Amino acid sequence: MDISKISQEQKEQMDALKDAIVTIDLEKARDVAEKIIEQNIDPRIVIKYPIAEAAEILGKKFDCGEIFLGNLVMAGDLIEEVVAVLEKHIPLDQLEKKKVIVIAAVQGDIHSVGKNLVSTMLRASGFGVCDIGVDVNSSVIIQKAREVKADMIALSSLLTTTMPYQKEVIDDLVSMGLRKNFKIIIGGGPVTRDYAEKIGADGYAKDAIEAVEEARRLLA
Amino acid sequence: MISLLDIAERIQTGEKIEEKVWDMNLFKTISELVRKYHIEFPGERSFINMDEELVERAFEAAIDCLEKLGIYCITTRRHLKVTRKEILTAINEAPAEILMGEGRDRRVWKQRKIEGKEKLNVCPGHHTPYTEDLAPMVVKNFAQIPRTDFIEGFNFTQVDGREIIGTPMEVYASRRQMGWMREGIRKAGRPGLAVVYYPINTKAEDLICVMDPDYGLRRTDGILLSLLPDLKMEQDMLSAAIVYEEYGSFKLSGSFALAGGFCGGIEGAIVEGIAKPIAAMIAYRDYIHYTGVEHIHMLNARQILVPGINWARSVVNQALNRFSHTICMRWIIPTSGSGTELNLLEIAMQSIEAPINGMNLYAPRHCRTTTNHGQTPLEAEWMIEVSDAVIDQGIDKQSANELLIRLAERLKGEKPQEGYSITECYDLVHHKPNSDYERKYIDVKKHLREIGLNLS
Repeated sequence: MDISKISQEQKEQMDALKDAIVTIDLEKARDVAEKIIEQNIDPRIVIKYPIAEAAEILGKKFDCGEIFLGNLVMAGDLIEEVVAVLEKHIPLDQLEKKKVIVIAAVQGDIHSVGKNLVSTMLRASGFGVCDIGVDVNSSVIIQKAREVKADMIALSSLLTTTMPYQKEVIDDLVSMGLRKNFKIIIGGGPVTRDYAEKIGADGYAKDAIEAVEEARRLLA
Repeated sequence: MISLLDIAERIQTGEKIEEKVWDMNLFKTISELVRKYHIEFPGERSFINMDEELVERAFEAAIDCLEKLGIYCITTRRHLKVTRKEILTAINEAPAEILMGEGRDRRVWKQRKIEGKEKLNVCPGHHTPYTEDLAPMVVKNFAQIPRTDFIEGFNFTQVDGREIIGTPMEVYASRRQMGWMREGIRKAGRPGLAVVYYPINTKAEDLICVMDPDYGLRRTDGILLSLLPDLKMEQDMLSAAIVYEEYGSFKLSGSFALAGGFCGGIEGAIVEGIAKPIAAMIAYRDYIHYTGVEHIHMLNARQILVPGINWARSVVNQALNRFSHTICMRWIIPTSGSGTELNLLEIAMQSIEAPINGMNLYAPRHCRTTTNHGQTPLEAEWMIEVSDAVIDQGIDKQSANELLIRLAERLKGEKPQEGYSITECYDLVHHKPNSDYERKYIDVKKHLREIGLNLS
């Protein structure tokens, strides 16, 4: 996969795709993706460069307040659709497995805003995200993580009384002999990095932007 | 007004809809309403709204929003629709004042006028987690602030030395919270002061277990039963609302909108910010609300100020005060922690806004509060001092706007600071800040005087 061998015309198509994603223009993105296939541009390069760059730009736009959660959800849907089109043209043995993250607000916690932000940002940044909602108990979280062969479990807690359920997921994984199978990242209003370390989580994020950085670090 | 049993029925029979679909419907509907009603931020020097017609349009947009969307129940995943007539009836029938507390501590919480001349009602604290060793002392410190009209409870992670996990422990801890609150107000010499129960969890058991005229929640006390962001409600909270409606306690809701979320930017947050307290009245009979607009980047302490956020709050509260009986409170949420100059400056900004926009004052608390680390009584006294000065000086919208421009200039380029725990910067025994914090308070007061606020 050598991007330096891309022709100017092919580069223009890749830039057009990046623009379409950044402006969240689904029709245009579909058209350009088809043209990219027709021009035999390596879809792996397209996923790795213009799509990843577009996701980065969208993250920055969200950080600057130019776009909002709803826009990110639409962008995430668009990126998934475009990637699905491109992946059809990648031989199975060369298909890079997307890193998968299961995310939930833990048992007893019905607050979803922070979790939704993290979930959407992770998705828009190219992770496969399985958002299983709020008030989810440990066994359901672990079952889902096993089912989808997740790489990471992200746990949200906005109440101090639900924080112990973040620890419960980790303790349950240990007792099941599954701890090494998943990276664990936690977050939420009263949650701190010290608490994450104390309960044996692998990472902590203060907000959605940090969550993406932490996921990239842990799943590199 | 539509009865709570009607609500209970509708959340069982309404149209089933997946939450993600609801979220995107809300996003698209509010985006359309912002365009339809021409809700637009006039520019970076606007902190207080001056456009009366915009306030009217924004209110219409919010009614339209509620009529189109309704409310979503996350428990049953059903859509609760309400008619325009039901919305307008709720607005008309909601009270403009609430009686609370007992004996010499009986108080009337009122809806305020825009640029009002009456001193504001005050809740000075909590909504911040504390450890049990500090609990009664903290409550006493806040309750003894003379202008306190009610005081709110708090969360915690341990009770009687045990970690709180599971419903039985939560129920026990909830009752202990109320016990500490009652003990603290007695120690402050204010046994009749109204207490608002802060739910340590949102399960029905945890919400209802504190009803206890002798040791817990009295009929003259209140409970925080908040509508969730994005016009969402929850079944257990409705159960509690039904019980407390009979019991007689008043109810509060956290009714601000979150800009950056599914409501969109600050303009979209205006629409949700007006709709949400009305929805909370309908769903839970909440009559006191912390209202306005916050931004996810500010609540995450990524930025101290977001352009337009103060203006958006102003529009929301002016709309609610002009066209409804909503009793609004300004929840003061600085991005910097206690013990810092930035914290006091941010509180000053928000306390200047409050009387101008018709809002009472509520629990200044760091946006990233952690156990014992979120607020001190000084911040509560400071918010009262600043808002009283605004009223005494007869500051109007224009002058307030100028003050806020100057304060924003002072805060420009600064980054939120973590601050200190309550015991690191405040002496709870003698009810005063430590010398370092006191010096910062004096410096900030001086700055406020220099820019035109008459503080003693």
